[in-house]
Amino acid sequence: MYRGREGQWAFFLHRLSGIALLLWLLLHTLNISSAMWGPEVSNRLMAFFHVPVFQVGLLLVTAGALYHAFNGLRIILMDFTSWGVKYQKELWYGVLFLCLAAAIPGLIITVPRIIAAASRNGG
Amino acid sequence: MAIRARRYQDAKAQAGTNLELAWWVFMRLSGLVLVFLVLGHIYMNFVLIDVNTVNYNYVAQRLSNTTWKIYDLVILGLALLHGLNGSRYVMDDWIRHPGRRFVTKAVVYGLGLLVFLIGSISLLNHDFSR
Repeated sequence: MYRGREGQWAFFLHRLSGIALLLWLLLHTLNISSAMWGPEVSNRLMAFFHVPVFQVGLLLVTAGALYHAFNGLRIILMDFTSWGVKYQKELWYGVLFLCLAAAIPGLIITVPRIIAAASRNGG
Repeated sequence: MAIRARRYQDAKAQAGTNLELAWWVFMRLSGLVLVFLVLGHIYMNFVLIDVNTVNYNYVAQRLSNTTWKIYDLVILGLALLHGLNGSRYVMDDWIRHPGRRFVTKAVVYGLGLLVFLIGSISLLNHDFSR
């Protein structure tokens, strides 16, 4: 395993997205938990994270979540089926296809909102 | 040492300890559950609504609902364990110096525990309905 080119990319991207997701989980939990300190504190913190730079970051981490989820299913198939390892390359292209299939409608829905919010607040 | 196997039988053969094999199984099981919980969470809070409208009122309303308390607590617990164990594999791989590896692990696990405490308190011990 991981001798082929696709396998190495699959592994590296799984790791990279995993690290990003852990960092996101820590930040996101603290951000949402700030609601315990009342509307003033948490609204200010959430407004801070609604700056366009962070929204682009949110799109990236969402892409990471999609990849990590679908590639995780690929890993499970490789581990628990007799044919998973043999077709790991094809499965990986399937993972990328699923990511695109989810990301394209997702971007069509979310990007206009992000642009609208950015032009409302700053531009 | 992290297990490198692809297939349960190989993992069983490679696992140094039963605990390591249990973590290997846990990563698959929790991963399978998290796929649905996390993608559902993203769909509900990022696709169905505009994230720019998320504010105190939205959070307080959601966190006063028992269903979302349980849903979010399961995600928080499983994702933290899954993520911290994943980061352990990464740290074992990338940090060669034993002292530095120990300190990094202590900091990462400590942060994880702190975030779990704050997150679970906000879900279970704070009354948002008032």
